[in-house]
Amino acid sequence: MPVLTGSVGFFSTWHLGRTQLTPVATPVLLVPFGERWLVEARGDFQGDFVRPAGGSFGGDVEKEVDYAQVDYIANPYVTVTVGRFLTPFGIYNERLYPIWIRSLQATPLIFPIGTGSSDGAMLRGGFPGNHKVNVNYAVYFSTLSSINKLESDRRAGGRIGFFLPGPRIELGASLQQLLQEDRSQSVGFHFAWQPNRVPLNLRSEYAWGAIKGSGYWIEGAYRLSQIPRGQRVLRHAEVVGRAQQYFAGQLDAADASEYQLPRRNTQQADLGMNYYFSDGFKATGSYGRWFSSARDYNIWTVGIAYRFALPLGRSQ
Amino acid sequence: MSWKRTLGNLLLLSVLAVPAGARHSGESPASSAKTGATVQPVRSEDDLRVEGEKRFRANCGRCHQSPHKFPPRMMLTIERHMRVRALITDEDLRLIVRYMTQ
Repeated sequence: MPVLTGSVGFFSTWHLGRTQLTPVATPVLLVPFGERWLVEARGDFQGDFVRPAGGSFGGDVEKEVDYAQVDYIANPYVTVTVGRFLTPFGIYNERLYPIWIRSLQATPLIFPIGTGSSDGAMLRGGFPGNHKVNVNYAVYFSTLSSINKLESDRRAGGRIGFFLPGPRIELGASLQQLLQEDRSQSVGFHFAWQPNRVPLNLRSEYAWGAIKGSGYWIEGAYRLSQIPRGQRVLRHAEVVGRAQQYFAGQLDAADASEYQLPRRNTQQADLGMNYYFSDGFKATGSYGRWFSSARDYNIWTVGIAYRFALPLGRSQ
Repeated sequence: MSWKRTLGNLLLLSVLAVPAGARHSGESPASSAKTGATVQPVRSEDDLRVEGEKRFRANCGRCHQSPHKFPPRMMLTIERHMRVRALITDEDLRLIVRYMTQ
């Protein structure tokens, strides 16, 4: 049965004396065919309305096609994907990006390294390595595209991950080779851990790009479900902290702006809280401090995010 | 162009492996669970439910809060999407779908 899902949200950010309003809608369409096929697509509509100190709001709505792909589940170990897909580099782009999933609304500083969308073909899958570890992989080739909203670089790459279901630890590495322009490489590593006895979600990524620079982020999200008092409220609350560092690469000012990367070495620390009214509906707030040689400043964010899922037909 | 050759070989491998997948998809969830390397021997519906919940929390909880259960046909579509997105193994997926649709 086809399903329309996705998320909507609204966020307000204050930094450097500016107020920024960001309404977001990311609809996802899922259409299965037979036992093995799936067509899936996600659009990304994001407003960016800024009011400078003393001014009035103004801005644009960005419209993107994040992915529009056909998946063929060839066997339990291999799925063939053709079309426009999220570039499998690290874990944030493919798994943590949706606003109802991410613990802090600001994407990590290193997010532009190796990620984005690719137009081409991909093989991916997951299988048990032995009784203690599951292995997952993705290899892809992407072609150059300058079509509006479907832009893509010519590149090839892959990612491998190991998930240990017992201790609930995940480790992985990504590699990407650009096959145009400077033909640079990008390398990434990721780590995630959800301890069995503590409601903690620990995640981290490292990325290195020959031109774009390098950096890492580490994030911990702790659900207050084990606090002995006030459980009616606290079990829905989550405290989040993230530390990250970015080391600037060889990009000039124009390219850094285009890739949405800082021009200088930068550190950022964030502390936030999420309150889950239900599994897919949350209020979020955070405070962050940005440190760079150019200037230091505070970033405040509040907002709500909602995940919806609607059947497009009879669900029974 | 070694990467092209590698990609070609992987595509060929995936196509050749289809019959194996067809055999696998014909198995019942219970027999699949019994033969899986990561699945403990299961004997009853309760065992399957407990194992399904365990796999659900281990796999789905890696990224997001536990969602409520959806109607069965809707759940099958969402799980197919999650199989591709989160690279959940075939055995885990069968147990999770069973758990989420009961």
